[in-house]
Amino acid sequence: MEYTHQSSWIIPFIPLPVPILIGVGLLLFPTATKNLRRMWAFPSILLLMIVMIFSIDLSIHQIENNSIYQYVWSWTINNDLSLEFGYLIDSLTSIMSILITTVGILVLIYSDSYMSHDQGYLRFFTYLSIFNTSMLGLVTSSNLIQVYIFWELVGMCSYLLIGFWFTRPIAANACQKAFVTNRVGDFGLLLGILGFYWITGSLEFRDLFQIFNNLIYKNEVNLFFVTLCALLLFCGSVAKSAQFPLHVWLPDAMEGPTPISALIHAATMVAAGIFLVARLLPLFIVIPPLMSGIALIGIITVVLGATLAIAQKDIKKNLAYSTMSQLGYMMLALGMGSYRAALFHLITHAYSKALLFLGSGSIIHSMEAIVGYSPDKSQNMVLMGGLRKHAPITKTAFLIGTLSLCGIPPFACFWSKDEILNDSWLYSPIFAIIACSTAGLTAFYMFRIYLLVFEGYLNVHFQNFNGKKNSSFYSISLWGKEEKKKLKKKIHLLALLTMNNNERTSFFRKRTHSHRINRNGKSIKRLFLDSNHFGTKNIPFFYPHESDNTMLFSMLVLVLFTFFVGSVGISFSQEGIDLDILSKLLIPSIDLLHQNSKNSVDWHEFFTNATFSVNIAFFGIFIASFFYKPVFSSLQNLNLFNLFQKSVPKKRIADKIINILYDWSYNRGYIDDFFEVSLIASVRKLAKFNYFFDRQVIDGIPNGVGISSFFIGESIKYVGGGRISSYIFFFVLIFLVICYYIFI
Amino acid sequence: MTNYFPWLTIVVVFPIAAGSFIFLFPHRGNKVIRWYSICICLIDLLLTTYAFCYHFRLDDPLIQLTENYKWIHFFDFYWRLGIDGLSIGPILLTGFITTLATLAAQPVTREYRLFYFLMLAMYSGQIGPFSSRDILLFFIMWELELIPVYLLLSIWGGKKRLYSATKFILYTAGASIFLLMGILGIGLYGSNEPTLNFETLTNQSYPVALEIIFYTAFLLAFAVKSPIIPFHTWLPDTHGEAHYSTCMLLAGILLKMGAYGLVRINMEFFSHAHSIFCPWLMILGSIQIIYAASTSFGQRNLKKRIAYSSVSHMGFIIIGIGSISDTGLNGAILQIISHGFIGAALFFLAGTSYDRLRLLYLDEMGGMAIPMPKIFTIFTILSMASLALPGMSGFVAELIVFWGIITSQKYLFMMKILMTFGTAIGMILTPIYLLSILRQMFYGYKFFNTPNSYFFDSGPRELFISISILIPVIGIGIYPDFIFSFSVDKVEAILSNF
Repeated sequence: MEYTHQSSWIIPFIPLPVPILIGVGLLLFPTATKNLRRMWAFPSILLLMIVMIFSIDLSIHQIENNSIYQYVWSWTINNDLSLEFGYLIDSLTSIMSILITTVGILVLIYSDSYMSHDQGYLRFFTYLSIFNTSMLGLVTSSNLIQVYIFWELVGMCSYLLIGFWFTRPIAANACQKAFVTNRVGDFGLLLGILGFYWITGSLEFRDLFQIFNNLIYKNEVNLFFVTLCALLLFCGSVAKSAQFPLHVWLPDAMEGPTPISALIHAATMVAAGIFLVARLLPLFIVIPPLMSGIALIGIITVVLGATLAIAQKDIKKNLAYSTMSQLGYMMLALGMGSYRAALFHLITHAYSKALLFLGSGSIIHSMEAIVGYSPDKSQNMVLMGGLRKHAPITKTAFLIGTLSLCGIPPFACFWSKDEILNDSWLYSPIFAIIACSTAGLTAFYMFRIYLLVFEGYLNVHFQNFNGKKNSSFYSISLWGKEEKKKLKKKIHLLALLTMNNNERTSFFRKRTHSHRINRNGKSIKRLFLDSNHFGTKNIPFFYPHESDNTMLFSMLVLVLFTFFVGSVGISFSQEGIDLDILSKLLIPSIDLLHQNSKNSVDWHEFFTNATFSVNIAFFGIFIASFFYKPVFSSLQNLNLFNLFQKSVPKKRIADKIINILYDWSYNRGYIDDFFEVSLIASVRKLAKFNYFFDRQVIDGIPNGVGISSFFIGESIKYVGGGRISSYIFFFVLIFLVICYYIFI
Repeated sequence: MTNYFPWLTIVVVFPIAAGSFIFLFPHRGNKVIRWYSICICLIDLLLTTYAFCYHFRLDDPLIQLTENYKWIHFFDFYWRLGIDGLSIGPILLTGFITTLATLAAQPVTREYRLFYFLMLAMYSGQIGPFSSRDILLFFIMWELELIPVYLLLSIWGGKKRLYSATKFILYTAGASIFLLMGILGIGLYGSNEPTLNFETLTNQSYPVALEIIFYTAFLLAFAVKSPIIPFHTWLPDTHGEAHYSTCMLLAGILLKMGAYGLVRINMEFFSHAHSIFCPWLMILGSIQIIYAASTSFGQRNLKKRIAYSSVSHMGFIIIGIGSISDTGLNGAILQIISHGFIGAALFFLAGTSYDRLRLLYLDEMGGMAIPMPKIFTIFTILSMASLALPGMSGFVAELIVFWGIITSQKYLFMMKILMTFGTAIGMILTPIYLLSILRQMFYGYKFFNTPNSYFFDSGPRELFISISILIPVIGIGIYPDFIFSFSVDKVEAILSNF
């Protein structure tokens, strides 16, 4: 409908009334607003629902007639400079807006329960609605300045939400880090925008592409400058999508509440970088060096994210690195020029990762009641384990998300990842080999999470007596860094256990102890008593509970999405007619790799490729289960484990390599440390130096003038004070001096 | 204009005249005087707004609301007032900020009669330079506003108030010598009769060497006020010591006088010299942005840190003035207004939190978000405004200054690239110090040893002040045309000389 399109400028502004109303309410009627706080979730969800219906309607029209609607109006009246606002509805916009609204609604429903006991419930919903507004604004914007505006606003929301629990110093540091790192990207983005305005004189996407292509065609531009500008523009995406050099903020951003990690730091905002590159692909595609640069950054991020994910102990940080790696896949696909695969993976990954994050939120929520509200404990995978029995629905949902991310056939991510891997074979074999092996790595670390969290027994309870029972002690160190040291002294294991020289384990134990004492002083006695006869199993332990229905509801809906969203991209083509929705949406888009293959999908080729990638994924899962299978659950498995270990000492070198890999991964690839040492320290030094310079040199001159004039004044005062004796003294002094000169 | 009612004279003279009645009031506590002075401020603001609404036409780039009275006969000195698109913005800003500063000064109890009188005298002294059309009158008004600032600093300041007050007066008085020399020079040039009228001076032309000398003299005078880097050290000291209502005036209006003078005198009178100097101004401006921003996060004192942030933001104005382009100059004017609001509000908030905590240094603070959530919220919003978040006025101003750099026709390709790059580095540095202020002040957790009643969140008065600054900040950010509509025609007229 023409009417729908004309009024679609309102899309970003629909969720806006909620924050305004909450703000006014808090200002004018604070108590009433706070008392009715649960009420505020409804309007936010309702308004977002309206947006969702709107955007579904738009995308249906997009499928029917593939047209772009753009209405523009002017913002400033300045003659030289015309900043115009408008909106651009094309297939990319409609896909993104459906994605944002669906994940947004589910996260809102989820967080109504997740945040219900939080002091900042209203604040949370305010931020979330502002975020939805700016994210929708970002995807519907029609020119670069508008993109920049919403880009920054999204970054601000991310800042506010990472620092949501502002009493935690870690959160305070994390949110500042996120903002500043993103600002580095924005710096590039702004310069790139200015540069392209300089080259083409326009900011509207379509004008920009046209003018730019003409210029390139006529060879009228300085290619170096163009590449520089495009690189700067890409810099924005690198920061936002957590690509290689600027990815450092994303794992720290997990300090925010878990629904935020699901919505902003997995599904939507971090995908904005991908969105921007996809939007500007017509521009980038004429600069081949830049395209290979994008692919290179993508592949580096893929590998880096996956390797860093294999040894994290915080469940959310682990998922964050996995997000980073998957974003790397999308960037790789864009760099290869397969626009469709990148967007397909964007969609499928968003739903799967949102599901995983919501699942982890549910786990954290149930663990918090037992281990305490510190993210060090409640998100620590060491303390989890065996949640399969206590939270079965969460377990199922999480498992499905995991399988999807690993690329196991019926689930969403399989289809998209397979497509990317196929395309990468066409692009470059080296990249393809790296990408495929990383797919195996993905399966490995995802199953590592799954096994550590859901299999075995709840480790928190082992913590209390692992000084006495060797098996559990062993198990704790099994996954961890200290395990390697232990293995060498395997024979002295029993002696060693009493020695208690393992700092980390004792650290955990101590913390858990103290915490338990804080939480419930009564039961602690019983725990200690029970710990003496372990194995009697009838101990009233605190077990984690399944989350309540609201949370489960949104997780289940996401499970459905994870099952079926892959179908939008599966081509059921029989006689050369593409039937899948995604291709229909993206018909006029760019496809570098399939230009001559004429769209017909060869089923045989597809099956061989699919079998190959699924095999890799299963290999990864197998390795993971070999390492992280709950061997520690009871003593009976210890023999098996020892058997395995006995063969190991021969391969000391292999052990060492694993150790190095582990250290690399555990210390986040030393990249944070590198930034810490090189950048932050030098900035601090510069600040100190500047301060010194300002105080001593610039300020020293007037101070020196002041002091010297003071002394001169004082001495003149003394001289001209009118005292006869001093006059006579000077008189005599001068007389003597003159005499001295005369006589010599 | 057929209307001969002396609007501007009334606007300029009314606050100081009404303020001098304060001394006649009986001693009945400061409540009466407080409300009396706020009423005067408000009336003056309303008068200004009324006069500008009904007697000022925006599409006319010429001087309007002119008044012309002979004052001293024998050297041709006139009481000559008038406004144009360049000065209307700063005058409205002055009225607004001074009224709010007077409202913010309510907790002052020591020597309150003198304090309020000085605030009202500042009011006149600030509107004076913006509206005078006679260069000697400009100088007199310029000097008039120094005395109240000096007194406000030296009586109501912090511990080192005498040092900073002396520093302030020495710097500005030293600068005024150059201003006076320049004024006498251009006034007496080429004729026996002194010409002090702005109109005739604008059309006068000088030999190049002489023009450069005059330009340098005025530049030095305005560089101290504005401040431009080697002359900025008075500012952190002054701001660090002054009472926060004084800080609001200093940061909100006084700094803008230097920038206004640069446009009004240096650009309008000496267009040739300006086109010689402007590359250096640009370089100086971008060095200033980076230098002040990186000095800022070495500061421990909260107010000094904000003071350095204003030095850094003034760099944008200098760049805008230096990029002889329509867009750049408009951006500079917008930045004058926008930083007037944001700087004043940040100092106000720093002052109110100092009132509660009695802590000067950032590393002693922490965890204040829980006892005072409202201040936390407003401080966050204003820091965001100051670091140029879109939707706030700072972003529009900085963006348009950037635009001015790249669309300027005067500079070479490489120069533009370097300038843009340098200026944009400031964009990365700004959030570092602003967000670390936020982090150090509000984030984290801390047990306060002092009794709880000592901390209280901002009351309705403080909330009113912050919100009334916030509204224009967001308003300009969303609809910047409001300010542009004042200045666009005038800017074109100025730039037609180049």
